[in-house]
Amino acid sequence: MRNVAALLRRELSAYFASIVGYVVVMFFLIVMGVTFAVVVGYLNRGPTQLTAMKILFSMFWLPSLVVIPMITMRLLAEEKRAGTIEMLMTAPVTEGAVVVAKWLGALVLYGLMWALTGGYVLILQHFSGGAPLDVGPILSGYLGVLLIGQFLIALGLLSSSMTKNQVAAALMSFAMIFMILIVLNWMSFLFQGGVFGQAFRTLSAFEHMEDFARGIVDTRPVILYLSGTAVALFLTIRVLESRKWR
Amino acid sequence: MQPMIKVEGLTKRYAGVTALNNLSFTVQPGEIVGFLGPNGAGKSTTMRILTGFIPATAGRVEVAGLDVFENSLEVRKHIGYMPENNPLYEDMRVVEYLRFRSRLKGVSRAQRAERVDYAMEKTGITDVRRRVIGQLSKGYRQRVGLADALLGAPALLILDEPTIGLDPVQIRQVRQLIKELGQAHTILISTHILPEVEMTCNRVLIIHHGKILASDTPDNLKRSLNTGGLVLVEVRARVTDLRNRLEELPEVANVSAEPADDGYARALVEAKGAVDLREQIYRVAVANRWELRELSRGRTTLEDIFVHITREEDEAEEDRRERRRGAR
Repeated sequence: MRNVAALLRRELSAYFASIVGYVVVMFFLIVMGVTFAVVVGYLNRGPTQLTAMKILFSMFWLPSLVVIPMITMRLLAEEKRAGTIEMLMTAPVTEGAVVVAKWLGALVLYGLMWALTGGYVLILQHFSGGAPLDVGPILSGYLGVLLIGQFLIALGLLSSSMTKNQVAAALMSFAMIFMILIVLNWMSFLFQGGVFGQAFRTLSAFEHMEDFARGIVDTRPVILYLSGTAVALFLTIRVLESRKWR
Repeated sequence: MQPMIKVEGLTKRYAGVTALNNLSFTVQPGEIVGFLGPNGAGKSTTMRILTGFIPATAGRVEVAGLDVFENSLEVRKHIGYMPENNPLYEDMRVVEYLRFRSRLKGVSRAQRAERVDYAMEKTGITDVRRRVIGQLSKGYRQRVGLADALLGAPALLILDEPTIGLDPVQIRQVRQLIKELGQAHTILISTHILPEVEMTCNRVLIIHHGKILASDTPDNLKRSLNTGGLVLVEVRARVTDLRNRLEELPEVANVSAEPADDGYARALVEAKGAVDLREQIYRVAVANRWELRELSRGRTTLEDIFVHITREEDEAEEDRRERRRGAR
């Protein structure tokens, strides 16, 4: 655990030692800021069933597709390219500690970015004319964003472990995230009804996010994403160890 | 005494290629051992196995009495390793990097500042402690790598080509540093530069095609090569006289003489066996009343030994192949 803490510190400082961390955060804030402005403009036109945060949460896929490949592509690919993986793996640390620390580091950055959107909640509060905000759905919405995000980050880390090339790692994780977010959702439209339709809807991250944003915390998606992360991190560790049995 | 490194029957095969072939050697505590071999001989592979970065195909490897495969994490605590090309996190500052590494190596919080300061002072990088590693010169980066190796106060330092890519002044500094470190650590250092081994190490392991061909002190290796009898002499005499007089000596095998400037003649004299001819040649010069301005022994360098041993091995290999072809 002490090792994970040391590695995590290094990971977090690495994001902000280079320009990458700032660029990613800036990109995220621009996308979310524009989305928020559009949402508020839309809600001003008349009464509706939707809340501003609900619409904002339903846009979670847009930054995920770009931001997660960007923050994970470097993690292991760069260590392999620069050879620093040899320094790392000849220090008294396990592959597991390295992988968990890198995953946590990306997750913390991702969480920080979303935490910044908490500002929107304060803005809404200020202009809501004294009406109390419904805090429950907002919190469960953030929970959904984190839950899906941590799984996609684990996939990004897995991509990064498989190549020395950061661009290849980014493309690979983009493809995986695209499949899971977008293609699964299309499929659930294609197969309306029937077993397949049901299956795809059960797996669709959009459906899950809608539930979370409504304040419903279903344990099925929670278990799905956590076990998905466990599998992805396990595979990443195996890939890192593969130098030992090749 | 328990050996610091004990390697027995170490073999490493990559897909079809045998990188190490039944390698065995030991290193005693306190030794500075030079691991010498041409590029691709298996030096880095051996070091990577010792540090637990990759496993062996067969054989036993122990460091400080611990099996490298079974107690990998424990073994790593005893080793300060500087890989080939010295990879570092270029985006970090020197002192940040060393603090991070000392945390990884399990240096206790109480000792951390002291160890980092010690390593920086020892390697002479205290004045660049706040600089970003990516902006340092190659010489300084090399020292950051060495400082990192020292952090955990390891009993064993494994340095893979520590002077590669440095300029002559830096090479000298790093060599001096390694010598100093040898007082407190056992050191295994790999190189393909011979003077380096000659100056810093008290034992040489020559490795070629994944096999150990020789293991001895640099001096013993030189002696065993039996080339003590090469002498260079310069006297004021005619070339033919010089050649004739020297060839009269019973223990001389061969003389090659040539004119030098200012009426001097120069001769390279080869003895039969490992005899030192200098006294006899001096007496010849005195007897003939030649003025003598140079009389020196041709030095055998490790370079000669290295070429000699590796060529012998290559020829033996060639022979075996010939015979196999003949048998078929």
